Amino acid sequence: MSRRPLLFSLIGIILLASGLFGGNLLAGNMPSLGLDLQGGASVTMTPKGTYEADALTVAVDIIRQRVDSIGVSEPEIIRQGDTVVVNLPGVKDQQQALELVGRTGAVEMRPVIRMAENPDTTTTTVAGATTTTIKGASSDETSTTLAQPTGGLGSARHIAAETTTTTTVPTDPVTGLEEGQTVLPGRKDGFIYLLGPAEATGEVFSNDSAAEVSNGAWVVVAKLKSGAAGEDQWNALAGKCFAGGADCPTKQIAIILDGEVISAPVVQAPSFDNSVQISGSFTEKEANELARVLQFGAVPVQFDIPTVQTVSATLGKDSLKAAIVSGLIGVLLVLIFLLFYYRVLALVVVGGLTISGLLLWSVISWLSKTNGLALTLSGVAGIIVSIGVTVDSYVVFFEKIKDDVQSGRSLRNSAARGFESAWRTILAADTVSFIGALILWWLTVGSVRGFAFFLGLSTLSDIVVSYFFTRPTVLLLARTKFMNKGRVLGVAPSTTEAVSS
Amino acid sequence: MSGGMRRLYRGETTINFYGRRNIGFIASGILVLVTIVSLFAQGLNLGIDFKGGVAFEVPVQGSISIDVVEDVLKSEGVLDDGIKLQTLKSETESRIRIQLGDQTPEKVTAIQTALAEKANLTVNDVSVSTVSSTWGRSITMKAVNALLVFFLVVSIFISFRFEWRMAISAIVAMAHDVAISVGLYSVLGLEVTPATVVAFLTILGFSLYDTIVVFDKVHENTSRFSGSKVSYGDVVNVSMNQVLMRSLNTSLAAVLPVLSLLVLGSGVFGAVALREFALALLVGLATGAYSSIYIATPLLGLLKERSAQYTSGRGQLSLGADMGHLMSTGAPVGRRASANASAASSAGTGVRPPVDAILSHPPRPRKKSRR
Repeated sequence: MSRRPLLFSLIGIILLASGLFGGNLLAGNMPSLGLDLQGGASVTMTPKGTYEADALTVAVDIIRQRVDSIGVSEPEIIRQGDTVVVNLPGVKDQQQALELVGRTGAVEMRPVIRMAENPDTTTTTVAGATTTTIKGASSDETSTTLAQPTGGLGSARHIAAETTTTTTVPTDPVTGLEEGQTVLPGRKDGFIYLLGPAEATGEVFSNDSAAEVSNGAWVVVAKLKSGAAGEDQWNALAGKCFAGGADCPTKQIAIILDGEVISAPVVQAPSFDNSVQISGSFTEKEANELARVLQFGAVPVQFDIPTVQTVSATLGKDSLKAAIVSGLIGVLLVLIFLLFYYRVLALVVVGGLTISGLLLWSVISWLSKTNGLALTLSGVAGIIVSIGVTVDSYVVFFEKIKDDVQSGRSLRNSAARGFESAWRTILAADTVSFIGALILWWLTVGSVRGFAFFLGLSTLSDIVVSYFFTRPTVLLLARTKFMNKGRVLGVAPSTTEAVSS
Repeated sequence: MSGGMRRLYRGETTINFYGRRNIGFIASGILVLVTIVSLFAQGLNLGIDFKGGVAFEVPVQGSISIDVVEDVLKSEGVLDDGIKLQTLKSETESRIRIQLGDQTPEKVTAIQTALAEKANLTVNDVSVSTVSSTWGRSITMKAVNALLVFFLVVSIFISFRFEWRMAISAIVAMAHDVAISVGLYSVLGLEVTPATVVAFLTILGFSLYDTIVVFDKVHENTSRFSGSKVSYGDVVNVSMNQVLMRSLNTSLAAVLPVLSLLVLGSGVFGAVALREFALALLVGLATGAYSSIYIATPLLGLLKERSAQYTSGRGQLSLGADMGHLMSTGAPVGRRASANASAASSAGTGVRPPVDAILSHPPRPRKKSRR
């Protein structure tokens, strides 16, 4: 390979790393630290009035889900006696803490007047809300009394799609709203909904909504309470929507929690006895989620206005200082060892670690600012351990070079060949690590998720640094006169013997 | 440099790992058995994050401070690694929150009284409540599910990139590492915290990474030796000796920072929280390095030996100098070599191996001087 692309890649990565580092430094982005190291905001929520113990558990689950979805900052959710305590790392603004936790209130149901794609989100087509339908559960009792509407799931989708294309929600929703109407976003479907006044709450259902499999698809079955507070109230709304009049032209009923439309099924029967079945292209997870929202709506727990306090670190500054100092000493030991073992090449490792350190610092600082990422003690330790893995890439590479030099190749030739084969190994091992990190990040919550994030990040940085820094540096060094003189590598480039057998 | 070290340094060792595989298998078998027995007998000592416990809150007035609280806890004999001490501050007041593992009602009252005394408050001003775990059952389930998916996807990847036998061996080695680390926690009764779980996951990652590097070498040698009649045991032995130095170096490079965390961080600087984390990592790193050499690769050899390609050479191993010869030339010595026509010329001791067997193509002769 000619010299130019190598130099280009080397200068490129150095400029990139120092540019990102400088940029973050100028912007004042610093890595924010987790609950254990820095503390944060502690939000205490006390339930109001009477409530059922089970309902509080569901409420905690709902809060946990919302707080966990914020990012990888590892919040803590504890039930302390009757209260729910949510600890948010690195949040200094108390108002922000309140917004993050939100307030879990009642589930309400409103007729959908119009829906349109939410211009704020980039999502264009999402299945789910548009295909949900609602009908009586297929128990003997209900199936005989319900008139099955013409057209099934397919026509429901059609109605929803048509509405989407032919209507536009007014750009300024504040004007032109009738009394009781409101505009709310869908939770995940990328739509916004123009909704009529709330005509029923989640309390029309009894507390045993469940996700079930019906005809090979996931559905949610909710039982109605009997009498005026349950069935009658629901049927008044359902009847109106089934008729499709001016106050519910879409025939859809929106189920709303905390100002978000969780689901907006199309009503397929004029009235319901006993129970309601909501079907659509649910995954198991979505069906369970909706069932839980309905369970919660049936016996809502009202919270007093939450109180916010700043909370100190559980481990304290000493731990962090100890971790950083002993970590750095550990790295120093590694470098001394490498210097003894690989001589001049160890300086390449110093350079490589510096570059990856700058890159990691930049990414962590930037994400701390934008996504509320927080570095916990396990994160710090994870990074220290990842140094071991990073050093391994160099060891694999250098051992290959040593082998080849020993068996009589020129250093220049050995370096090029060594990288080729080491790169294959590094890529295979890093791919496995990265797959692991991705899966853990995707499927878990809390500190495991935080760990997975840092593992993935350091794996990526290993690949980038190996290719864009280590490769050009070693290949260029191998061409210099200095490196080809004597035992710079610790092994003699033997000229006479190949390998003693 | 002594002879052994020198050979190690040059990657010329000829240790018969594969022939002594049973030592590793038996030692690991015993350790895993101990783990299982211990898990059934005394289980794991789960920390407050998993089990919940008791929380005290003391309004801060006058002389009470975190240090005073620590003294109180120490005299009550409950000051250990698992406790969490925090100060809560709002605009109007500030309080200290103490979270402990489960205590007897008498102990709770005793602590409450002692805290109230120190803070010059009445007993009722110190609030006591139970705290739930922060790490609920659903989080554990999610982590376990994710781990299963992880195993599955990694197996598929290894099968695709290398072969299915390697996937099995790698997963067994990983399971072995976690089992032994968990076993240590169970036997010694160390407290399991979320940080411990993270440490175990780090171990998994490291062990897997290490194993893949060894397997990559085996994979490379398999194709290198495909022409000659070599038993798979030989391939495994040669590969392990070739990567031995790399494995030792890498493990040392990974262990040094962790050792520093353990000795300096928790010993010299006294950051207790670091101790258990570093200990879990240290044990894991050690078993990880051990298992890729003594579990994963011999197991791969056992599985592979039974495949059609290698049945003829099964059980035969080139040892000592013969292994060295095999390593450098890619052809076996002696009886087996004579059966192999292509390698026959290089057989026998004292005969220089052909250079073209060492490398894929001969190195260019070095010029005497540069122009």
